[in-house]
Amino acid sequence: MKIRFAYLFIVVSAFVLMGCGGADSLDQPPKEEVTGGEVAVDFSAETMRNILISEGAIPADYNNSIFGYKAYKIPYETTDEEGNRVKVSGLMVVPTGVPETMKQAGFSLVSDSHGTIFANAEAPTVIAETTNSPDGAPIILTALGGFVTLQADYIGFGDSLGHYHPYLLKSSSAATTVDFINAAREFAENNGIPLNGQLFVTGYSEGGYVAMAALEALEEAGDPVAFAAPMAGPYMLDRMGQAVLAADTLPVPSFIANVAYAYALRYGVTVDTLVKEPYASALPVLFDGSKARPEIDAQLTHVTADLFTAGAISGLTTLDSNYWFTQTLQLNSTAYYPGLQTTTRLVQCIGDDVIPFVMSTGTATVMRDNFGAADIDVIPVEVAITGDLNTSLRLGHAECATPAYGVVSKIFSDVRRATIGY
Amino acid sequence: MKKTLLVSAAAATALTAGAYKLPEQSVNSMALSAAYVAHTTQADTAYFNPANMAFMGEKHYFDGAVTLIHLPSNEFVSIPPYAGASETENIVVPTMHYVSAPTGDFRWGVSLVVPGGLTKRWNTPYQKLYAEEFTLENIELNPVFSYKINEQLAIGGGLRMVYSKGVVKSDGRGGTPYPIAREMKGDTIEFGYNLALAYRPAEDVNMAVTYRSNIDLKEEGTANLYLGNVGSQYDATVTVPLPAALNIAVSKTWNKTFTLELGYERTFWSTYKQLDFQYAQPVTNPVLKQAFDTPIPKNWKDTNTYKIGATMVMDKITVMMGFAIDETPIPDETLSFELPDSDAKVFSMGFRYQQTENLSWGAAFLYDSKEPISIPPGVSDNALLKLTGASFNGGGAYLTTIGLSYEY
Repeated sequence: MKIRFAYLFIVVSAFVLMGCGGADSLDQPPKEEVTGGEVAVDFSAETMRNILISEGAIPADYNNSIFGYKAYKIPYETTDEEGNRVKVSGLMVVPTGVPETMKQAGFSLVSDSHGTIFANAEAPTVIAETTNSPDGAPIILTALGGFVTLQADYIGFGDSLGHYHPYLLKSSSAATTVDFINAAREFAENNGIPLNGQLFVTGYSEGGYVAMAALEALEEAGDPVAFAAPMAGPYMLDRMGQAVLAADTLPVPSFIANVAYAYALRYGVTVDTLVKEPYASALPVLFDGSKARPEIDAQLTHVTADLFTAGAISGLTTLDSNYWFTQTLQLNSTAYYPGLQTTTRLVQCIGDDVIPFVMSTGTATVMRDNFGAADIDVIPVEVAITGDLNTSLRLGHAECATPAYGVVSKIFSDVRRATIGY
Repeated sequence: MKKTLLVSAAAATALTAGAYKLPEQSVNSMALSAAYVAHTTQADTAYFNPANMAFMGEKHYFDGAVTLIHLPSNEFVSIPPYAGASETENIVVPTMHYVSAPTGDFRWGVSLVVPGGLTKRWNTPYQKLYAEEFTLENIELNPVFSYKINEQLAIGGGLRMVYSKGVVKSDGRGGTPYPIAREMKGDTIEFGYNLALAYRPAEDVNMAVTYRSNIDLKEEGTANLYLGNVGSQYDATVTVPLPAALNIAVSKTWNKTFTLELGYERTFWSTYKQLDFQYAQPVTNPVLKQAFDTPIPKNWKDTNTYKIGATMVMDKITVMMGFAIDETPIPDETLSFELPDSDAKVFSMGFRYQQTENLSWGAAFLYDSKEPISIPPGVSDNALLKLTGASFNGGGAYLTTIGLSYEY
C-alpha cells in the first residue's frame, strides 16, 4: 500500500504535468493569398464606419453606405524618363462588404495621383505596409465612394526608391500612372475583383499635374476615361516657374529646388547651373527619399537669389524661349495638349496659397480656347461645398485637399450612377 | 450569457487572496477559508505547513480533492455602447497531497496544487478590446521536508516547481473604432521555495510561520498582432508574478474537540509593477506599438488577509467553518477588465466524515463576496475607464470541493 500511494502520486503528477504540455501553438495570422500583390490593409465596413464616426468624419446616424477598405500593394514595371524599365509599386484599394448588386455591376476605377512627397515613408504603399491602416484619399473614394482607388507610388518611391523622382516630368509621370492602371486591371482579373471598365482620373497638387499627364496618355492610347477631375495642379509649368522665381522669397524652397534637380538630371545639365552652391551639392542627399519636406526646407535658403543662379532666374522670369529650362518646362506642361476629348473639370480652391487658383482658370481657358479641349471647366471647391457663388470661404492648398476629394467623389458618383446604375 | 465548463488542471481565478492567487487547496483549507496553517491535520499539511508534518502520526497520509469553481459574470455598468458583462466561468481544479511516514526526525511530502490563476473573458465590444480572454493557468509540484527539532519545534521547507500557461486575447475589431487585436499563448516552468516553522508551546496550542517565495512567471510563446485583418506573428514573452506570501497563524484547541485558528497573510503583490509584453522582433506599426508594445503600469500593492477558522470534531464527523477579510492589491488607477478585483469577504464551511479507520471524505463550500467597484471618471489609466469611470457589479466566486483522505 505504501508503494502504491507514492507511486500513484507520481503517476498522477506526471500525467497532469504532461497533460499540461506546452502552450497550444498559435497559428500564423491568416494571410490571404493573392496573385501579383499582397494585402497591406484590410478593415471591415463596420470598422470603417466606427472609425469615421469616432473621428467625426460622419455623424453617428449616417445613413449612406460605408464600405470596407482593402488595400493591395502591387508591384509592376514602368518606363522612366530615360526610357529604361523600372520596377515600381502602387496601391490598389478595393471596397469590401459591398451589396451583391454592386459586385455584379462591377467596380469603377479611380486613378488618384498623390501630391508632392519627399520621404519614401510618405509613399502610398509604404504607408499602407507600415501602418496597415487606411490613409488619405482612398478613405473618401473607396470607403465612402465605393470606387477602386489606384495610387501609384511614382518613380523614386516605394519599390523604386533609389531612382531619382522625375518631379513634374510628363512622360514618366504619365507612364507610371497608365502602367499602374493596366497592372491593376490585370491584378483584378487574376484575383476575382469585378471591374466594370469605367475609369476616372484625378489627383491633387503634383497629382493634379500627373493626372492630366496620364489623361493625355490614356487618350492617345485610346483608353476611354469617363470623367477627369485633376485638382490644384501646376499644369503650366513655365508660368508656375516664372511666378515662383519672380518672388524675392520662396515660402517652400524644396518644391522648386526639386524641379530644378529633376530637370537637371533628366536633361543632362549640371544642377549648379540652376541652383547655387552649397545647395546644389546637397540636393542628391536632400532628395534621396529619407527626408520629409520640413527637414529639406530647413537646409535650403528661402531667398530666391541665394538659392537660384542669376541665369535661372533671368531665363525663367522672362520666359526666355531660348533658355533650356524654360523650353523643357513648356515641353512638360500638360496645359498645352491639343484636342483633349475627355470631359474634364479642374477642381481647386480659390484660396489656394501654393498653386494660384488662376492656374486652373488659365489652363481651362488655354486648353479650351487655344488647344480645342472638348469640355473643360473649373470648379471652385469653396463654391461647390457651400453652394454659394459669392461665398467668402477661402481654403488654402493643404486644407483644401479633403473637401476637394469630396467634391470629386460626388461628381464621379453621379457619373457612375448615370452610367453604371449605382 | 453563455456558460462554459473548463476542465483544467490549472485554472483558477480571482479568489480568496485577491487578484489571481488561490490559497485553498483541499477540503479542509476550503472549509476554513485557508485559516489552516497552524492546525493542520491531513496530508495537505505538506502544502500549508510542511513543518507540521513533523508532528503528524507515524503513518503515510494521502489527500485528494476536486474543486469546482463557479465565477459569476462581472457586470460593467455604463452607458451604451460601453456597458458589458464578462463570461460566466466554471473551472475544475484537482489537488493532491502526500505525506510519508517519518524517517527519524525527518519526513517528506509532496503536493500537486494550483497556487493561482486567472480566467476572465469578455465578449462585449469595448471590454473585448482589452480582455477578450485573459487566462493564466498554474500548476505546482511542491516536494517538501520537515525536521523535528524537539517536541515543540519543527522546521520545514520545500522546492516549488510551477508550470504556467498563459493566454491573452484582445480584439477591438467588432463594434469599436479601434480595429486592433492581439492573441498570445505562452508557457514556462519556474522554480521557487517555501519555508515553514511550527512551534507548539503547549499541547493544545499551535503557532506557525510559513513563507512561500515569489516566482516570476515568464510566459514564453508567440503573439499575433492585428490591425484590421492584417496580422503578423512575433516571438513574445510576458512576465507576471506569483507573489511571495507570509503566513502567521495560531490555533488553540479545547478538549481535543474544538479548534479555533487565527491567521494573517501578507501577500507581496507590490512586485507586480507593470505588464510588459516583449517581442523578439520590433513592432514597427505605430498603432500596434502604442497599443501592445507599451508597458502597462500595474503598481499593485501588498495586501493583508485576516482569517479565522473553527473546527469541531465529533465522533465520525468533523465540522469546519471559516471567514476571511481580504484586500485587493489593485489600485484604482490600474484596475482594468482582465481583473476587476475588489476587497472581499470570504465565507466557508465544510465537513469531513470518517468512513473507516483509514479513510475519510468530505466536502466544503466557499463563497467569495467581492465588493462593488466604483471609481469616478478621470482616475483610471485605462482609456475607457478614465472616460466613463469604473462601475463593476457581480463577480466573486463560489467554490465547491469534495475530497478524500487516506492514511495507512
